[in-house]
Amino acid sequence: MRLSTVGVGSVEAVYRDQPALALRGLTKRYDDGTVALEDFDLEIPAGAFFGLLGPNGAGKTTLISAVCNLLRITDGEIRVFGEPHGSLQARSWIGLAEQDINLDRFLTVRETLTYHGGYWGMRDPEVRADELIEAFGLGHKRDTRAPKLSGGQRRRLLLARALMHRPRLVILDEPTAGVDFELRQELWRYIRQLHAEGTTILLTTHYLEEAEALCDEIALIRDGHLIARDSAETLLRTERLEEVYVKAMSS
Amino acid sequence: MTPLVWLCKRETLRVSKLWTQTVLAPVVSSMLFILVFGLSLGDRIKQVGAVDYDVFIVPGLITMAMAQAAFANNASTIFQARFDRYVNDVLSAPMKSWQMTLGYTVGGVVRALAIGVSLLVLAVVLVGEPVRHPFELAAAIALGLVLFGSLGLVVGIYAETWDHTSFIQNIVILPLTFVGGVFYSVDVLPSPWEELSHFNPVFYLVNAVRYGFLGESDVSIWLSLGVIAALAVPVYAWSQWLFTSGRRLKS
Repeated sequence: MRLSTVGVGSVEAVYRDQPALALRGLTKRYDDGTVALEDFDLEIPAGAFFGLLGPNGAGKTTLISAVCNLLRITDGEIRVFGEPHGSLQARSWIGLAEQDINLDRFLTVRETLTYHGGYWGMRDPEVRADELIEAFGLGHKRDTRAPKLSGGQRRRLLLARALMHRPRLVILDEPTAGVDFELRQELWRYIRQLHAEGTTILLTTHYLEEAEALCDEIALIRDGHLIARDSAETLLRTERLEEVYVKAMSS
Repeated sequence: MTPLVWLCKRETLRVSKLWTQTVLAPVVSSMLFILVFGLSLGDRIKQVGAVDYDVFIVPGLITMAMAQAAFANNASTIFQARFDRYVNDVLSAPMKSWQMTLGYTVGGVVRALAIGVSLLVLAVVLVGEPVRHPFELAAAIALGLVLFGSLGLVVGIYAETWDHTSFIQNIVILPLTFVGGVFYSVDVLPSPWEELSHFNPVFYLVNAVRYGFLGESDVSIWLSLGVIAALAVPVYAWSQWLFTSGRRLKS
């Protein structure tokens, strides 16, 4: 089963030449004065599998939250396939799986997906929800509320919810943090399939081998600034990503 | 269905899933008030004006139960959503801010109406409660629910702990309700308590609802409706501003 249905249609044609994500001069200063991002520029081409690496507090989650309208930016501009990120159109194109499990405790697995689809204006979200429940192996838990799921099941549901409305840009914030080897491999399989179907993916991760294995472009971020960016192939041509990462972070 | 309808459905679903807590408990406690106060004091206080005491207290008790339910429901639903961070699923959705405000307000309104209708039916059966001015009654309840539902949202958005929401409910709303003429006509109070009662907004809501039921009130129905509207509009606008600006909802 296809996890997404990105590909054709008039809207697709209009926005095909636009970068999936364009950040210009993005700055975020929190109320306590902490500057999480400063004059940050980044462009991610449509169809890319883009990795964002950096230590804790580098600004990765702030960047993602800004793109997804979950924080108030101080300055700068964000465009999603050419549209301002706050527009309803841009919002409808983004799917987000956050680092922390943030599932609605009152909803079952099926309701979680169905209501998410409803918030995104989908018609008949139940059909799509049932597809994803099967694709993510949650069939036997469809009527179980989120707090009663295991950690792995919650992680899968979080990813399924992000894909529910067939987003063109999927943002995964540490999607495999704290999961066991088997589930990590399973999630990688889903994510690869999604990318193969044409979806742009922005991935943040602490696991360098995850970035090596999945991403075709990688950016390194530290203290709210972009410090390196290149294709994974170029970065890895002479040395392992781990060495590139350590050099960049200590420079 | 539009995203607004789905958010309204979600908020209503929460009320129905927790119905013993959200509807049954307030109905039972209000009925106990009617039975205990009506039966115990009814023998001593035969009538207030031309109305039997057990009939007199019903509008105030219904008002108290509905106002508290609208406030408590909306304060807890938005606080829980912030606390568990699943509010992000709504904040990042392609939904307009007025739809978010209205959608979150609806849950408290539905819960309060379920309680109000249940109490009305019981009061008609038990004490023969009349409904003399249904249109004025509907207007008073609508304005009161907007006022307390919106206030619940505002408090739930500003609250940093569960204690903050219960503090406002127990230290502000409940005392104002008790001294707002639920159990007595303020005409019987000595000066300056009678005059001070006119600075209590709940006094106007209780009297507007009492006028709708009994055709009797300590003040003009139009003054009561005017005061409630004058409070409901800015409080609703405040909750709308919070969703539009993202203040307290987005970092």
